[in-house]
Amino acid sequence: MSRTDGRANGGSPTEPTIGELMAVELSRRLRGDDVAVMGTASALPQIACRLAKETHAPDLWYVAGGTCGVNPRLAPAVPSCCDEDLLRADTAVPLSDVVLLEGRGDVFTVFFSGGLQIDAHGNCNLVSVGDWTRPSLRGPGTVGLPFLARVGRVLIYTMAHNPRTFVERVDFLGGPGFLDGPDSWAAAGLTGGGPAAVVTPLCTLGFDPQTLRLRLETVHPGVTVQQVVEATGFELSVPEVVPPTPPPTDELIAILRSIDSGGLLRGR
Amino acid sequence: MNKVLSLHDAVERHVPDGVGLLAVGGMHLHNNPMALVREVVRQRQRIRRLLTSPCGAFNADLLIAAGLVEEIATSYVGFEHLGLAPAFRRSVEDGSLRVLECDEAYITHGLNAGAGGLPFAPLPAGLEVSDVWKANPESFRLVEDPFTGARVLAGAPLRPDVALVHASEADAAGNAVLGGAHFVDRVMAMAARTVVLQVEAVVPTEAISRHPVGTTIPGFLVHAVVEVPGGCHPTASHGHYRVDEDHLRRYLALAGGAEGPRAYVEQYVRGSSEADYQQAQRALAPGEALQ
Repeated sequence: MSRTDGRANGGSPTEPTIGELMAVELSRRLRGDDVAVMGTASALPQIACRLAKETHAPDLWYVAGGTCGVNPRLAPAVPSCCDEDLLRADTAVPLSDVVLLEGRGDVFTVFFSGGLQIDAHGNCNLVSVGDWTRPSLRGPGTVGLPFLARVGRVLIYTMAHNPRTFVERVDFLGGPGFLDGPDSWAAAGLTGGGPAAVVTPLCTLGFDPQTLRLRLETVHPGVTVQQVVEATGFELSVPEVVPPTPPPTDELIAILRSIDSGGLLRGR
Repeated sequence: MNKVLSLHDAVERHVPDGVGLLAVGGMHLHNNPMALVREVVRQRQRIRRLLTSPCGAFNADLLIAAGLVEEIATSYVGFEHLGLAPAFRRSVEDGSLRVLECDEAYITHGLNAGAGGLPFAPLPAGLEVSDVWKANPESFRLVEDPFTGARVLAGAPLRPDVALVHASEADAAGNAVLGGAHFVDRVMAMAARTVVLQVEAVVPTEAISRHPVGTTIPGFLVHAVVEVPGGCHPTASHGHYRVDEDHLRRYLALAGGAEGPRAYVEQYVRGSSEADYQQAQRALAPGEALQ
C-alpha cells in the first residue's frame, strides 16, 4: 500500500493531494454551531476548521489546543499545536481553562482524535502496543483523549491505514469510542456523542448504527474497496454500494491552498 | 531583592541530587527550559520522579537520555510531527523507566490541587472509562462523591519539589512575563515548592510593572532567575525564536545510532559549557538564533 500519507501524490491545480482531500472530508463534517477543539500534531484539523469557517460554516469556533488560540488565522498553517503563530487569533485562552471547559462537557461539540491504534468501535490508543507494563511499542501518551467520553462528536483522522493501526480492539483504551459496542456504550451512560467519522488516506469511515462498528462510507479516488478491506485489521462492514469520496471543487481547493499556503498538505 | 543566579549556581543550589518530584515547563517543542535541563545533565543530578506538562518533549527526553530519571509522570513525551521520543520510548520498552500514566486533565487539575492545597482533584465523569487510571493506581482513586453518592475519579495533588520554567523576561525579584502561550507553566509555578526561572532577559522592574495583569508570575513564588538568551534552543521561545528542527533531527538521527541518545548527551551537553553550546548554535545559524 503506497498511499499511506499525503505526500504520495503531488497534487495539481485541479487534483487535491490525499492530505488535502482528508482536510476537505473533515471540514465537511463541521457545522456553524460547532465549537471544536484539537490537540497534538493537528495541522490537518486546523486547516479543516479554517476551511469550514471560510466556506460553509462561517460561525464555527475552533481552539488549537496547546497554544489555545481561538480561530487562529493560518496562512501558512503550522505543523505544531503549540506554535506561537497560532496566537494570531481572535483570542487565546490559557490551556488550563480549556481543560476546565473540556470537563464541563457542554462547551465543545467536536473533538479531533487519532491513534497508534484505532479499533473496530472507534476507540483510540496513543499509549502502548502490547502489554502496557512491557510494551512492544511505547507511544507518546494519551494527552486529552480521555475527554472523548465527555465531549460532543469525535472526528478521528490518521495518516496510516494499515492492519497495525486498524485493530479489532485497542491494547490500551486512552481515547474512548463506542467501547465494546452497543451494550457497554449504553451502560457507560456517557455524555459524549461518540465517534462520528474516521478519515484515512484511503477512505472515509462511519459507524453502523446497530453494531457501532466501523463501516466503509466512501473510497478516495484510485482506491478500491478491496484495498481498504485488506488494509484493515478487522472485519470491516462494507455496504453494497460504496460511492467515491466526492471530489472538492476547484474553488474549494483554491481556498484550502490559500490557508495551507506553506503546502503542509502537499508535503512541503 | 536579587534572585539572579548563574546557571551553574541555580541548579547546584535548587535542584538537589535525587530530587523527589522535578517539574519541567513548556509544551511540545516550545518554551522548554533547556538551558536548565542541560545544566541538570552536566551536574548529573538524579531525579526520582519527573513531571511534564500535558505534553513533554525534548525537556524530558534529554534527562531520560542522560540516564537521570527513575520514574516519569506524564501524559505525553514525543516530538510531535517530528516523531517519537527515542530515549523515552527505549527506556519504557526495556523496563528501565517506570511510567506513572497520566492524562491532560489530571496533570492540569492535579497541579491546581497542589497550588491550592486541595486534598485531591476530583475529575469529570466519563474519564474513568479510559485505562489511564487503572495503569496508575498510585495517582488515581475511584471515590464516592459526598454530594451525589456517585463514583468519581480523583487524582492526588501534584506538588513539585522544584519546577524549571521558562519565561520571556523577569526582573531580578522574579516577577516574570510569559512571552506567548501559557501552557500550564503558571500553574506549575504556583504548585511547586521551589521555582527556578530561565529567561531570555532580566529587565528592570519598571519594564515588568507596565503590564501587571495578564501573564505575570509573581516574584514571591520564584527562588532563582537565570538569564540565558537562546536558552530554550533547540525548542522555540515564544516571541524570540522558532523551533530548530534541523538540530532536533540530528538528535533523532544520533539517537537512532548504535550508541543511542547518549551519544548526543556526551557530544552536545556534557562535552560543552552552555556558553560554548550557544556559541556553536549561533555559528550554525548566524543572525537567526537570537533576536
